[in-house]
Amino acid sequence: MSKSTAPSFLSPRRILVIAQSTVTHLIRMKVFYFLAPIAVLFVGLQFFDGLWYAGPDTTLVEQELRMHKNICLGTMMLFGCLFAVVSTALLIPGDVEDRTLYTILCKPVPRMDYLLGKLLGVVFVILVAMAVMDLLMVATLHLRVEAKLAEITELLIDRGLPEREIESVRAEVAAHGSTLNLQYGVLAHFLKAAVIVAVALLISTFSTSTLFTIAVSVMVWIIGEFQWIVRDGLFNDAEYGELPTTADRIVGTIVSVVFPDFRLFGAIADGASRAQTVIPSDVGQLCGLAGMYLGIYVVLSWFVFRDKEF
Amino acid sequence: MSEVPAVEVKDLVKDFRGSFRGRKVRAVRKVSLQIAPGEVYGLIGPNGSGKSTTMKALLGLLAPTSGACAIFGRNSLKVDSRRDVGFLPENPYFYKHLTAAETVRFFGKLCGMRGRKLRERVSELLKLVGLEEARDRRLKGFSKGMLQRIGLAQALVQEPRLLVLDEPTAGVDPAGSREIRDLILELKKRGITVFLCSHLLEQVQEVCDRVGIINQGVMVKEGVLEELISLENRTELVLENAGPDLRDQIRLLVEVTDGARMVSEGKARTTLERLFLEETRDRPANQKNLQDDE
Ligand SMILES: Nc1ncnc2c1ncn2[C@@H]1O[C@H](COP(=O)(O)OP(=O)(O)O)[C@@H](O)[C@H]1O
Ligand SMILES: [Mg+2]
Repeated sequence: MSKSTAPSFLSPRRILVIAQSTVTHLIRMKVFYFLAPIAVLFVGLQFFDGLWYAGPDTTLVEQELRMHKNICLGTMMLFGCLFAVVSTALLIPGDVEDRTLYTILCKPVPRMDYLLGKLLGVVFVILVAMAVMDLLMVATLHLRVEAKLAEITELLIDRGLPEREIESVRAEVAAHGSTLNLQYGVLAHFLKAAVIVAVALLISTFSTSTLFTIAVSVMVWIIGEFQWIVRDGLFNDAEYGELPTTADRIVGTIVSVVFPDFRLFGAIADGASRAQTVIPSDVGQLCGLAGMYLGIYVVLSWFVFRDKEF
Repeated sequence: MSEVPAVEVKDLVKDFRGSFRGRKVRAVRKVSLQIAPGEVYGLIGPNGSGKSTTMKALLGLLAPTSGACAIFGRNSLKVDSRRDVGFLPENPYFYKHLTAAETVRFFGKLCGMRGRKLRERVSELLKLVGLEEARDRRLKGFSKGMLQRIGLAQALVQEPRLLVLDEPTAGVDPAGSREIRDLILELKKRGITVFLCSHLLEQVQEVCDRVGIINQGVMVKEGVLEELISLENRTELVLENAGPDLRDQIRLLVEVTDGARMVSEGKARTTLERLFLEETRDRPANQKNLQDDE
């Protein structure tokens, strides 16, 4: 009598249904309202207008633009990662606490589909939020660069510099504006936020409280940001005539396996904001790394969640 | 019985780990039961006797410590056993941000339904459970009885052959629980198997073909309801407008009959419940619920 199709493991349609419901949930929690103060911040940055430009040396202008980009990218990173932690920690333990999960799992829904749906939903909302912030950043940056260029050109013409030289100065300044390079920085932050969603997903499969999930996820995030510094310290002491001990190596290896390492993410974002050319192979490596972390944490989440009792 | 049973619970044992020290609590001790397709089965027992635990094991929300459960022959631990079953949990709770219609639609989609068929099914179910007027209201302000009905609607969404109801009338007023009982009888007519549990005995009595009595995790009695509760050698008659003469005659007749004895005599009473239902009849149930919320 039942006309529903056989529940296969990993049905894209069912995953999308859960993802969609997650997105609806987050939207109705009014999460996008957080974008308003961020928009105010980005637009407000315009008013911190450096009156610093002095001559053909563009360092000061570059610094000013870099500050703008750093603040925007930093905000995006902070917002993305915090949002990743908080929303995942609210949604999944919430479902367990409210027992809404009962009714969902009593339908022919494989538990993996539920997890992937939640992950996808949160990541999608982050993607939209980041895209909006990205757009704001690009627009404000564009306006600022245009204003600077006009100012500089006028100044240089006044000083009677040859046109060719003016052009090269303009090109130098423009390179610090909104470029494709900058978008790699946004990508790095987005991927980091996605990995953090997967981390919070894993933690929320065995924790029962929202607060615990948030605390542990933030801890993992911070370790992910800084573990390379510690590991560098452990492994590269050789210069000072001190070889790493076996214990050091073991600890280092465990830390690097259990916790994500966000060094590359930060490096690419940093390079992007400095207007250094980002190497495509680095971007490829970044995507691969993010994919690997997502895969590991989702599979681990599933292992925990599979046999969970309610 | 060559037919595959709708529900088969075999020697189900479920332990819960108590405190940190690992003292185990045995919630269900070797419970076995079978429900044939089309049957309405009632599991009754006091609070904490293991009713919900048995149902959760049947739905694969809990893994049995030992023993096994199956729905239409499919092991409960497998996802596809859930295709043919609808579950109404105890005190159901749904996403507060969704409306009644969105909630039912969400569960329909989870079962792989979509398009016009799903839309029609949602309207049909909301009508069936009497929530048409509330269809576009968010569940945030729903009363207990309304949540229970939404729970029934989502359980029925994919037209399952088996319905598992955990205390379907708990916390619902008598008019509401009467409607839920009528609904169960209606579903029974359509051939749907129902497995329900309750600690309210009269309700079970009215709808169930077979009952099991569970106490402290042990099935203490099981059987056909009629056989369990009828007193074979007694007959009850209720008379209307019988004067003292007629009553004397009957009493006399009983006295002269060998072996017969009048056990009790008195005014027939309505039950408090029936009285309540009669007095509150003119108010439609959902309107009342709407008023509750405002
Ligand atoms: N998750 C759990 N952890 C520990 N003990 C539980 C859990 N669920 C139920 N129990 C215990 O199992 C027994 C049966 O509970 P339950 O099946 O909910 O009873 P009923 O539904 O008949 O009221 C109770 O003693 C209860 O305390
Ligand atoms: Mg119970």
